[in-house]
Amino acid sequence: MTVRSSSGGPDAASARAAAISVASRARPSGWFRSQTSQRLGAGYLLLAPAVLYVLLLVGAPFLFSLYLALSDANVGEPVATFVGLENFRAALESDVFYIALRNSIVFTVVAAIFKGLLGTTLAFLLLQPFWGRKLVRGLVVIPFTLPVTISVLSWKWMYDSQFSVINWFLSRIGLVGSYGSPDWPVWLGQPHLALAACIIVNVWRSFPFSAIVLLAGFTSVPTEILDAARVDGTSFFQRFRYVVVPMIAPILLIGFLFDTVFTLSDLSIVYLLTQGGPANATKILPVLAYQVGIQAGALGRGAAISLFLFPLLLPLMILLLRNLKRRED
Amino acid sequence: MSDLQPVQTDHASVSRRRFLKVAGGGVAGSSLLTMLDARKAPAQIKGTTLRILQWSHFIPAYDAWYDKFAKEWGDKNGVKVRVDHIPHLDIPARMAAEFAAGAGHDIIYNGSSILTRLYYKNLVDLTDIADAAGKKYGGWIPAAKSLVEVEGRWYGLPLFYILAPMLYRKDLFDANNLKYPDTWELARVAARTLKPKGHPTGIALSQCADANLFWRSMFFSFGGTEADPSGANPTLDSKELREFLRFAKAIFEEGMTPEVFSWDDASDNRYLASGIACWVHDAISAYRTTEDTNPEVFKNTFLGLEPQGLPVKRVSVAAPNVWMVWKFSKNQQAAKEWLSYLLDNDLVGMVESRGYNMPYLNDRYKKPMPVIGTDPKLQILQDFPKIVAFYGHPGPSTTPIQEIVNTFIFPDMVTRVCRGKESIEESIKWGVGEYRRIYAKHKQA
Repeated sequence: MTVRSSSGGPDAASARAAAISVASRARPSGWFRSQTSQRLGAGYLLLAPAVLYVLLLVGAPFLFSLYLALSDANVGEPVATFVGLENFRAALESDVFYIALRNSIVFTVVAAIFKGLLGTTLAFLLLQPFWGRKLVRGLVVIPFTLPVTISVLSWKWMYDSQFSVINWFLSRIGLVGSYGSPDWPVWLGQPHLALAACIIVNVWRSFPFSAIVLLAGFTSVPTEILDAARVDGTSFFQRFRYVVVPMIAPILLIGFLFDTVFTLSDLSIVYLLTQGGPANATKILPVLAYQVGIQAGALGRGAAISLFLFPLLLPLMILLLRNLKRRED
Repeated sequence: MSDLQPVQTDHASVSRRRFLKVAGGGVAGSSLLTMLDARKAPAQIKGTTLRILQWSHFIPAYDAWYDKFAKEWGDKNGVKVRVDHIPHLDIPARMAAEFAAGAGHDIIYNGSSILTRLYYKNLVDLTDIADAAGKKYGGWIPAAKSLVEVEGRWYGLPLFYILAPMLYRKDLFDANNLKYPDTWELARVAARTLKPKGHPTGIALSQCADANLFWRSMFFSFGGTEADPSGANPTLDSKELREFLRFAKAIFEEGMTPEVFSWDDASDNRYLASGIACWVHDAISAYRTTEDTNPEVFKNTFLGLEPQGLPVKRVSVAAPNVWMVWKFSKNQQAAKEWLSYLLDNDLVGMVESRGYNMPYLNDRYKKPMPVIGTDPKLQILQDFPKIVAFYGHPGPSTTPIQEIVNTFIFPDMVTRVCRGKESIEESIKWGVGEYRRIYAKHKQA
């Protein structure tokens, strides 16, 4: 008679292992019941809405616009034929396209600089304790929350060549002459001034967003660290450069990314203020794409023009996201 | 001749069945004719819904009247009518969206940018309504069919267009012994004389509809053409274009200010109403704005016919307005009935728009016309239909022309000349190059 140990002994253990091994081969579904697989499954399940969202709302339109850009589609023809890179070649043949490309880059870069400067300043101001701070924090986001049509039409009035309140003010303080004089600014009529006017509206609308993003970042920096840096004798700018910025870098980078995408693809401000005029001085790629693709009906060429935004944005996105990843690691 | 021969009838061969057939057909035919004559809609449209998309008119009272008028017609015919108004600049995007979805409104409006040729395969053929109206009202003005006719069929109904006469300050002209601006040269002399006295003139040189319309009027009056009569080839590059651009540069430098580079479609209204402008070339909305806001200036504002460029050559480019019916519409019959009714009542619409809406049907020009025929200052507008043209003159409103209009190539070419940074030849090279490139793209497609 064989006596078994309470633990089962080495023979029993190997037999159990063999049995488990056989069982696991026979019933692979056992793996799915394990804790690891369940955790993984739950993870994918939770991720699924985001993935679906990206695929449906970003991936599908992107692929569709790629399809349009490679076809001779127009707004009145449901069936389009493949034309290869013809629409891209057509865009590159037009000098209006190069003007729009240049203006898009200038518009985005200059607006980003000013939004960064003004947003940071505003965020620091809103950090300071003062009476009514909560109310002011609420009020500063008004430009961002107003419907774009209303705010841009208000600006259009302020830029009016005859009744501009800005010019009236500048004239009253003696910076420009009176109406009809050669130095009376025609905001939407002089090429550089017109582009500047569009940038000003974009900055005015968006810098509160930058400020709010930065404010969220600033408030997340522990005061002990800032106090320690202060005790070490650092100046305000040194603390900002070496303590605050590295700590809020992920927020800054994401905010910057969002803002760049929104600015580069912003159609409304330029369209409502100037429609790209005078003589294309303010034409940007989204406006040109809209005029060619929708108003003139050449969907394929319009899609090709708008897709030129993609190679502009892609390197920037890769750089920013890699930087973000490196910081996380 | 044979119609006059007495018809031999064999009484014996007329069976009861045949009698009922012929008599029934006759009764049905005559009731249809009576119904059409009385513009009473057929019973089939009862209980249906008609959805109309159109612009927000510059005269808000017109929209109020239109909505009420449509509702009343709907109530009378058992049709539920819904009218949606959106800004005219949004129409092309909305049209593209409705076409892509295959759903939306039954009737869709086009203003200024007429997209018949882009969509005609998906629009209902309205030739029958157009022919009937033409027969009834003495035919259509010559420019009408260029907007809507494709391959001999009408895919839209032109209902009204918007004129742009000369509006000038008679008090300023008289005080400076200036002649009535019957030619562009006289208009230039007036601007040159009055600008130093604080009364310049202005025509928009920006990317807006006015710039597209009014500089073309001047160009065509100088004998220029945009395309050949078939619309297949651009004909911009010409000695007339050079002559026109030299004149445009001169009139800008002598009589305008850089403000015109920033103007939108309402800026010239304000310019006139503020008392600054010596003349503007604009729709009568400028006249109405002045009437409402500055009675003193209004009293001295008079209207003139399109000025001549070359002797006796006047071409006035107007802003067209056209209604179309989608093929996907499930209520095409009601849509056609409503459009016929609207055409029958276009003069009522003219009154409700304070003389702004100009009809396309010849008989409507019997003098005196409503509103404009009774106002001595506006009477001259009755003489416009003979000189009215649209984009692409003398050709039709083709797809390349629509792209050229929507990307503002023509006014941009004028702007480049007037800015003085480019020579006339350089600007022409750019403009003609853009025309050729766009035409070539559309031919390829």
